[in-house]
Amino acid sequence: MTTGTTPIADFGVGVSVVGERAILAVRGEVDMLTTPDLIAMVDAAIDDGHRSVVLDLAELDFMSVMGLRAIAGGADRLEVAGGALTIRSPSALVRRLLDIMGLAGLVHLEEPRPFGRLGPEQSGPPLSAGPYSHLRRVTAVPSDDEVVNSALRLVVALARAAVGGADGVSVSLRRRGCLATVAASDQTIAEMDAIQYATGEGPCVDASVEGRWFHVQSLDTECRWPAFTPGAQSLGINSILSSPLLARDKPVGALNIYSRAEGAFAPNDQKLASVFATEASVILTEAGADVTDDQLSSRFQEALRTREVIAQAQGVIMERDGVGEDGAYSDLRRFSIWNGTPLRQRAQDVVHSTQRPEPHLGAPPWGGHDG
Amino acid sequence: MAEQTTDVLDRYRQDAELSHGELWLRYFELGGMSTGLQLEAFLYGALAPSAHDHDLIAHALNERFTELGGDHPVPYVEDENDN
Repeated sequence: MTTGTTPIADFGVGVSVVGERAILAVRGEVDMLTTPDLIAMVDAAIDDGHRSVVLDLAELDFMSVMGLRAIAGGADRLEVAGGALTIRSPSALVRRLLDIMGLAGLVHLEEPRPFGRLGPEQSGPPLSAGPYSHLRRVTAVPSDDEVVNSALRLVVALARAAVGGADGVSVSLRRRGCLATVAASDQTIAEMDAIQYATGEGPCVDASVEGRWFHVQSLDTECRWPAFTPGAQSLGINSILSSPLLARDKPVGALNIYSRAEGAFAPNDQKLASVFATEASVILTEAGADVTDDQLSSRFQEALRTREVIAQAQGVIMERDGVGEDGAYSDLRRFSIWNGTPLRQRAQDVVHSTQRPEPHLGAPPWGGHDG
Repeated sequence: MAEQTTDVLDRYRQDAELSHGELWLRYFELGGMSTGLQLEAFLYGALAPSAHDHDLIAHALNERFTELGGDHPVPYVEDENDN
């Protein structure tokens, strides 16, 4: 791992002490690479004897779920020591994430950004009444529900499409004490995971257990997992990025991204992986909270089918009218608005028109018998 | 991060009586590629969506308003650019 050589443009923490408060002004991106630095800074403030630590996020650009865990860890340590952690200027997204993860009660929030508009409080007291109050509404990781699997397959598909250098993506989840692959982009990737389960080692296993990310630049020089590495190489994989998945702040699995190339994952890809791992974590945390499994599962399948039909219709229009992708989409959208019909219905009609003649293109219904 | 300081899209979402998850599904169904968290960031104005993303969100909301018997209150970036 060569974290030291990875350029992290903007991350930084400015430290100041006001009275008894240590104020850490966080700039840039708190992601997989920079979270350990943030943890170290918070620890240093606590070790220095500060019992009131303020994280000022006004200059924050990105907060990964790992960064939030770091904040939760700091808040825990401070609480044990009789102190408190305050988050100043949290963005709406950070507030929402804290809320979703059940961490809002652990920290004090102050000075929300003007666009927050989320809660009645403008400063001071924490958003939720008691610590961990949000945890109670979330149950343990669902054991075998297809809904979560559908959602995670979606994350896999999105991550596969979005992360540059990715040849395959999978999600591993611990259920009933055993890791299992619940979504994989192809069979080779599923086998990559299986080798790790069989040998009991590998980045996926470690990320799932330790709750932190593992990056393999090249299996040719990798020596952390001697039993796993040869099998992985035999499948043609060379670099791996495993990000932990968390439910209720506990590691429950991993999002694994594999590439045949050496050093395939640039810092931006690592950040994207973190985004998708966060997404999967939220799905896991929220699973079952709002919608019944059957409903959500069938909705996902329906959404995927509709998406496909719309893409096909776009292709038909592009071919037929000689327009670009955006032009084809506008065509669908405008028809939908003018006629007050859902876009999906228009898309379906367009696709059907290529499968059999449209009525007005065949025998005209108004007088075909006259020849 | 763009300094868009508006949650106007989220207020439309609330008027449309859609949860964040349901709106994301509808947006995804229309071809959207952003994650649920990114969508929330768009709604709250914490991130600026591309014109295409904005119009996908707008259309998902407008279709919902149609279902509720209403008009199409959410403007499209593309149409504004055309005018």
